[in-house]
Amino acid sequence: MRAVLTTMRTALADGWANRRSFGFQVLLMVVNDVTWVLFWALFFNRVGTVRGWNPDDVYVLFSVLLVAAGIAIGLLANSRRIGQLAADGELDETLVLPIEPLPHILTKRIDAANVGDLMFGPVLFVFAGHPTPERVAVFVLGSLAGTVALVGFLVFCGALTLFVGGRGEQGDLGFNAILIFASYPLDLFGGATKVLLFTAVPAAFVTGLPAQLVRDFDAQRAALLILVAAGFALLGWVTFSLGLRRYSSGSLWSR
Amino acid sequence: MQAIRVNELRKTFPAGGRLRRRDAVEAVAGISFSVAAGERLAYIGPNGAGKSTSIKMLTGILHPTSGEATVLGIVPWRRRRELAARIGTLFGQRSQLWYQLTPRQTFGLLARIYGVSRADEASRVASLGELLDATELFDQPVRSLSLGQRMRCELVASMLHEPEVLFLDEPTIGLDLVAKTRFRDLIVRINEQRGTTILLTSHDVSDIEQVARRVIVINHGRLIYDDRVSRMRRTLLGTKVLDVRFADPPAAVEVEGAVLEKLTGSGAKLVVDTTQRPIRAVLDDLLERYEVVDISVADPPLEEIVSHIYTRPL
Amino acid sequence: MRPYLAGFNRGLRGAVVAPGDLTVRMTFLVIVVLVMAALWSAAVEANGGSIEGYTRDSLLWYVMAAQVAVIAVRPRTVEEVGEEIGSGTVAVQMLLPVSVAGLRMSIEAGEAAARLAAALVVGGAATWMLAGPPPSAAGLAMAVPACALGAAANIASQHAFGGIAFWLLDAKSTWFVYQKLVFIPGGMLIPLELLPGGLEAVARVLPFATMAYVPGRLASGHAEPELLAWQAAWLVALVGVALAVYAAGQRRLEVLGG
Repeated sequence: MRAVLTTMRTALADGWANRRSFGFQVLLMVVNDVTWVLFWALFFNRVGTVRGWNPDDVYVLFSVLLVAAGIAIGLLANSRRIGQLAADGELDETLVLPIEPLPHILTKRIDAANVGDLMFGPVLFVFAGHPTPERVAVFVLGSLAGTVALVGFLVFCGALTLFVGGRGEQGDLGFNAILIFASYPLDLFGGATKVLLFTAVPAAFVTGLPAQLVRDFDAQRAALLILVAAGFALLGWVTFSLGLRRYSSGSLWSR
Repeated sequence: MQAIRVNELRKTFPAGGRLRRRDAVEAVAGISFSVAAGERLAYIGPNGAGKSTSIKMLTGILHPTSGEATVLGIVPWRRRRELAARIGTLFGQRSQLWYQLTPRQTFGLLARIYGVSRADEASRVASLGELLDATELFDQPVRSLSLGQRMRCELVASMLHEPEVLFLDEPTIGLDLVAKTRFRDLIVRINEQRGTTILLTSHDVSDIEQVARRVIVINHGRLIYDDRVSRMRRTLLGTKVLDVRFADPPAAVEVEGAVLEKLTGSGAKLVVDTTQRPIRAVLDDLLERYEVVDISVADPPLEEIVSHIYTRPL
Repeated sequence: MRPYLAGFNRGLRGAVVAPGDLTVRMTFLVIVVLVMAALWSAAVEANGGSIEGYTRDSLLWYVMAAQVAVIAVRPRTVEEVGEEIGSGTVAVQMLLPVSVAGLRMSIEAGEAAARLAAALVVGGAATWMLAGPPPSAAGLAMAVPACALGAAANIASQHAFGGIAFWLLDAKSTWFVYQKLVFIPGGMLIPLELLPGGLEAVARVLPFATMAYVPGRLASGHAEPELLAWQAAWLVALVGVALAVYAAGQRRLEVLGG
């Protein structure tokens, strides 16, 4: 555990070493996020409530997305690069250390831009999410569950590279698809699409369900969310661990 | 006590790649050897010979296709974490040091990872800094260090947890001659002062001359030579190289058993096959017939010896 | 003219030969069309069947054309141009006896042409399945060249923007902000008519609207030919600005010594 925290602190120091660039990227991401909020504001300004969703509900959804993405690809920036790392033999430097490889790999890289998301998400929630103690609690837990689901899913997709080769491009596609779907309220989507969002492109568990719970908490769905999130985490972990046995460390071109 | 034991180790990378274009590759085709504690071993081979793959199996990074190996009595791919705490690694082409930070900051992280107490960390960093002449580099950001300076700090990083075995994979790659020599000297220092077993892979033959007492040559995934460096010179090529200086350079130099390789205004270079004629006899003839001012007898360059090994039939 | 045509061809061939990239983009196009279909269906149904004269089906055709025009172009060009300038690569490019900006734009235009063709087919098919035939054949017929003009304007504009790096030196992540300008005042996410008055007026003055709004508007059944003229005018202006920015930057490099 201590190794993980120290690794994260080191990664932060490494990113902070180039302060100007770090700050600039955070700022740009915040600008980017504000633009999305603006889009929604403009949309609802003209369209009004849609299927029971008003602007504030969507802002909550967006805040959850920002926190989940901010942690998953900002703080744990390697979660979406596992495929690449495996293909390029960059897992070596972690495998020679006397620690669990996955936590170290996940925490050793931070992406400044997406840290901006992580900073803006809670701010948005505070201003537009009508924060009450209960809502805040659900928001925090829901976002964390969504994060776990997202990271687990990303690790799973990346770890598949160890089995099927390639550089993890499928994972990238999956991630970007989740991002798109996760930016819109679940109720927008009908039948087949909705099923998709609860399975292969688990956007429902990343933002949909957490946001619904903030609006309208119910213990059953909360339990489902936690269970599924844990499931994705387990899936990622197991796939990665089994995949390590087949790791070839870039030795194909430098034996 | 055998620090490393390898038996019929094999690694085959399965066929695959885009459009199934790549055939299965047998990177390591059944190697066996052992290394005693405290030894300095050079593991030499041309590019693609299987050196890196061998080391990666011994450090637990790769799982072998078949065969056995133990390092410090531990099977690397089965108890990787346990072994990792007792061995050190230095990969020439991968850095353990964080680029934007100072080496000292990386040492701090590694100390936490290896479970080294702060007190121990401080004293070890100090003594390693002294041993490797690197102390003044510790507080500069890694990006501002030259490659040679960086490698010295990498060496400190890999020794911080006082490993019993140090694996080095092409550590001198990219270094200029001076830096290479210096680095090799440091490795010897570590071995002599701390008894650390050293296994060094390289395709640079001078690594053998300076560092190793024993050499293993690998090619096409197979071991083709395993012996002490001194014996390698002696048994493999029974040749000696004579560098002669004359008072008055003669028009020609003819001595039985010696082949004239070069004749210049100042002297001559002769190659003697000592299996044909003992060196003593050649020297006697040379000194009798010509006015020799200076003479030196040397082994042929190791490059030549090793090339000879690569090309001789298995 | 020859080198620019060669550049165009090179770009075209390059994009066709990389089916991976094309597949990824087309997958996204389909996803976005699906999502937008869901969004605007719900929006229109909540507003009694039409908004500002757009029905659900015409909105879907709007979205298709706007998305196609934007997805054909690489969004990170601004950043890449900035990087080439900042790293000095551009100084080497300037040794060629052609206009660097012109050549670069030709190559990207070639790539965009390939993507545009694929996107029109894929996007058109997906939209037809969801929303039936296009509301106006004439509109669609005009939307196709409008997509091309819009993509071209986008490329030129990114070069003009990226050229600022001659003076600023750091363009990382700026493509994000640029992209948002195309998304909102450009009308890609939301038709300009749905924006509040002041914002709509501003958007109509900016060039971004020609990159997404115009093809969208035409495809949604409003066959207004003056829109094409508006696009052409902006395209010429943007290419001019890009060339001028590069020329000024080149002079600056020559003075400062790259």
